[in-house]
Amino acid sequence: MSKTITIDPVTRIEGHARILLDCADDGSVNDAFFCVNELRGFERILVGMEASTMPQITARICGVCPTAHHLVAAKALDNAAGVKPPEAAQLLREFMYMGHFIHSHSLSLFVLAGPDLVFGLDGNMATQSIVGMVERDPDLSKKGLRLRSLGQKINETIGGRGIHPVTAVAGGISFRLSDGQFKKLQELTAEAVELVSELAEKTKKLLFALLDKNPALMEKLNSPSWYLGNVLEGKLNVYDGQLRPMDGDGVIKQEFGSSAYQEMMSERAVHTSYAKEVYLNLDGAEQLYRVGPLARVNVADGMETPLAQKMFEQFRGDFAAPNHNAVLQVYAKIIELVYACEKANEIINNPALRGETRVPADFRGGHGIAHIEAPRGTLIHEYDVDERGIVRAANMIIATQQNTAAINASLKEGANALLQSGDDEALLNSLEFIVRCYDPCLACSTHAMGRVPLDIVVARNGQTIRRLRRKYNA
Amino acid sequence: MSGEKIRLNTEWLCDCGGCHVAIVDLHEKILQVLEDIAIQKCPVLTDVKDYPEADIGILTGSIRTEHDRHAALEMRKKCKTILAFGTCAVYGGLHGAGLAHSKEEIMDYVYKSTPTTRTDFIPGENITGLEHSVTPIDEVIDVDLYLPGCPPHAHYIFESLSALVAGKTPRAGQESVCAGCNRVMKKTDVTAIMESGEPVGDDDVCFLSQGAICLGSVTLDRCLVPCPNHGIMCTGCAGPTMQILTEPNHDIRTEVSDRMSRLTAIDRDSIMAHMEKSAKTHYAYAMATKMIGNKPTFLIHKWIADVEAGK
Repeated sequence: MSKTITIDPVTRIEGHARILLDCADDGSVNDAFFCVNELRGFERILVGMEASTMPQITARICGVCPTAHHLVAAKALDNAAGVKPPEAAQLLREFMYMGHFIHSHSLSLFVLAGPDLVFGLDGNMATQSIVGMVERDPDLSKKGLRLRSLGQKINETIGGRGIHPVTAVAGGISFRLSDGQFKKLQELTAEAVELVSELAEKTKKLLFALLDKNPALMEKLNSPSWYLGNVLEGKLNVYDGQLRPMDGDGVIKQEFGSSAYQEMMSERAVHTSYAKEVYLNLDGAEQLYRVGPLARVNVADGMETPLAQKMFEQFRGDFAAPNHNAVLQVYAKIIELVYACEKANEIINNPALRGETRVPADFRGGHGIAHIEAPRGTLIHEYDVDERGIVRAANMIIATQQNTAAINASLKEGANALLQSGDDEALLNSLEFIVRCYDPCLACSTHAMGRVPLDIVVARNGQTIRRLRRKYNA
Repeated sequence: MSGEKIRLNTEWLCDCGGCHVAIVDLHEKILQVLEDIAIQKCPVLTDVKDYPEADIGILTGSIRTEHDRHAALEMRKKCKTILAFGTCAVYGGLHGAGLAHSKEEIMDYVYKSTPTTRTDFIPGENITGLEHSVTPIDEVIDVDLYLPGCPPHAHYIFESLSALVAGKTPRAGQESVCAGCNRVMKKTDVTAIMESGEPVGDDDVCFLSQGAICLGSVTLDRCLVPCPNHGIMCTGCAGPTMQILTEPNHDIRTEVSDRMSRLTAIDRDSIMAHMEKSAKTHYAYAMATKMIGNKPTFLIHKWIADVEAGK
C-alpha cells in the first residue's frame, strides 16, 4: 500500500505551491512534486491584444522580474519587424536591465536569503526575517537595502517606472535621457560599485560560515543536471547573445539562438501542478536541466568586468566545474550582482548612450522570437502578429518552470535521505531549504519567493493520518 | 508618533507580486512608515501563518482560486479596515482579461496548443481548483478603501498609509492621467489613426491630437504619469476614472472616440470601430469588474469573436 505525504507551504506561498511525496510501501520516495497552484493563462489572454503593448502587458506577468518580460517582449517585436535598435537604445535597455538585476539579486540575497546567512539554518523562526536581520546586522542590511534601492532607481529612470517599466518599444527606447538624468545616474552607479565590493566580500564570508557549520549541505544537494545559460562571445551576458547548453559532465554543446527553441525544448505538463516542466532536446533524449545564476556561471568562460571576473576565477578555483550544488546559487548570485554594478557603471559612462534611441519598426504580419536571461534564468517570448498588428499566437518559456524538474529531483533525493529517519523537523528543514536554494519565483505562474515554511500532511490512501506544522510567534 | 503602533496585515491573492514590491519601493520612506506600523502578516517579509487581528489589512490581487476567496474572507474577519491595493484587487487586473475566455479555453491553449508542449492533458490532481472567472475582491468582501494602480506609485502608497496611520481618510484624488501629462492638446487636421507601433512624431503634443490612441483621459492617475511623459501612450493600467465607471452609457472607447474626433479630422465611428478591434488591449485591466462588464455598451465577447474570426 503506498502512502502520500503532502507538504503545504503555508505562509508566503500558501495555496499557491505545495510539495507532494509519493511513497512506496517500504517508505522510500517514488516521486516528489513541487506543485504550483495558480494559473493566469497569459499565453491565451495575450491573443487578440495589440502587439505594440506586449512589453507593458507582459511585464505584469511578474512583479518580481517585470523588466525581464518587458525587454524580451521588445526584443521579440524587434525581430518580428526585422529591425535592429540603434546602439544607444541597446545600451539603454541593457543599462535598465542592470538596474533590475541589482534590485532583484539584492532583494534575493539580502531580504530573502539574508536571514539564513545571518542567523544560520537553525535560527529562531520568529526573528528570521529582514526585520530581525536589520537588528542583528544593521550595517549589512541597510547597505543591502540601499543597493537594492539604487538598482530600482536606475530601472525607474530608464524604464519610466521600476515595477512594470514602459519605455522599451519595438525599435528601441521611447525617449532620450536629459543631462540631469545622466548626472544622477552616474552618481547612482558609482555608489552601487562602491557598495557592492564590500557587500560581496561580507556575503561570501557569511555563506562560507554557513557551509562550514552545515557540512551536509555540500554533501547533499549535488544532483547533476544539464545547464543552460546565455553567453556573448563566451562570457556571461544576460541581455544579448546565444544560449549555451552544457551536459552534467561539463561538456559544452552547440550554442543556439532562441529562434531554434521550439526544436531544442520540450514542455511537459504534470498532473500535480499548473507549471509545466521543460527539457532540453539534446543527445537524442529529453535532458533535465537547470537555469539561473549557477547555470550561467557554470556555462560561461568568464565575466565581462574586472571584479566579477576575479570572483569568477576564485569560484572556479574553490569549487568543481560544473558545480551541481544548489546552495552555491548564492555565490553565483554575488558574482552576478558585482557584474551588474560594474556593467551599469561602464554603460553610463559610454558616450554612445547619447545617440538616437529609436528606429521605426513595423512588425505587422511578422513573427518574432527572443530570449533574455531573467534573474532566475532563461526567458523566451514568441509572438505571431497579424496584418493589423494584433497578436494571433503567443508562447513563453519561463525561468522557474525550467527548474521544476530539477527541484523535483532534489526534493526526491532530500526526502529519501531523511524520510526514514523519522525526524520530521529535519525533513521540514531540509525540504524547505532545498526549495529556497532554487529561489523559485512563481509569480510568473504564481508568486512564491524566498522562505517557504511548510505544512506536512501524511496521508495513506487519501486519508490524512497525521499533520505537522511549525508554530510561529505572531 | 509614540504609543501603540498601527497593526498591519498584508496578503496577496492572484497577482504578480508587484504590489508588494511597490511597498518595498517606498525606499527610504519605508523606515518612516515602519516607525508607526507593526507589520504582522506579510507574505514577503514575515513568516506569520495565521491571520492576526489588525487595524489595517492590505489585499493585493484578485480572486482566482478557492484559496484566494478563503484568504480574502479571513482578512476581512480580522482587519478593521480593508484596503484593496492595486488594480487587480480593485478591478480584477490584467489577468481579468481571462474573463473573455472560459476556463477550459485557457487550459486547452496552455496545455494542449502551444508549440513546445509535448503532452496532451490538463493538470488536475492535488491542485486547488480555479474558479470560473477572475473576481475583484469587493464582489466577495466589503472593502473600505480602494487604491488602484499597477502598481500604485510610491507617492500614493505613502499618502494613503500616512493618512491611515494618522487616523484620517486618505485623500483620493480624482485627476486623470491627462492632468499630469506635459503634452498639449490641440486641434489638428490628422486624418488617420496611427498604426500600432509607429513612433509618434511630436513629444510635446497630445497623442490623441496626433491620431494615436492614448487612454490618459479616461484613466485615473495613480502613477504620476510616467507613460505619456516618456513617449508611451497610456494603456489604462490604474483603471477608469469615476466618470467612466458611473455613467452607464459612457465607456472607455466612447469617451476616447469623442475626444479624439474633436481633436483631429478623424470621425468618431471609425475610432470606435478601431478600438473595438483591439478591445482586449483597451479594456485589459478593468473588464473583470461589473462596473465595466455590466455596461450595456460593453460587448467584449462579440468584439473578440469578430477579431479572432479575422473580421
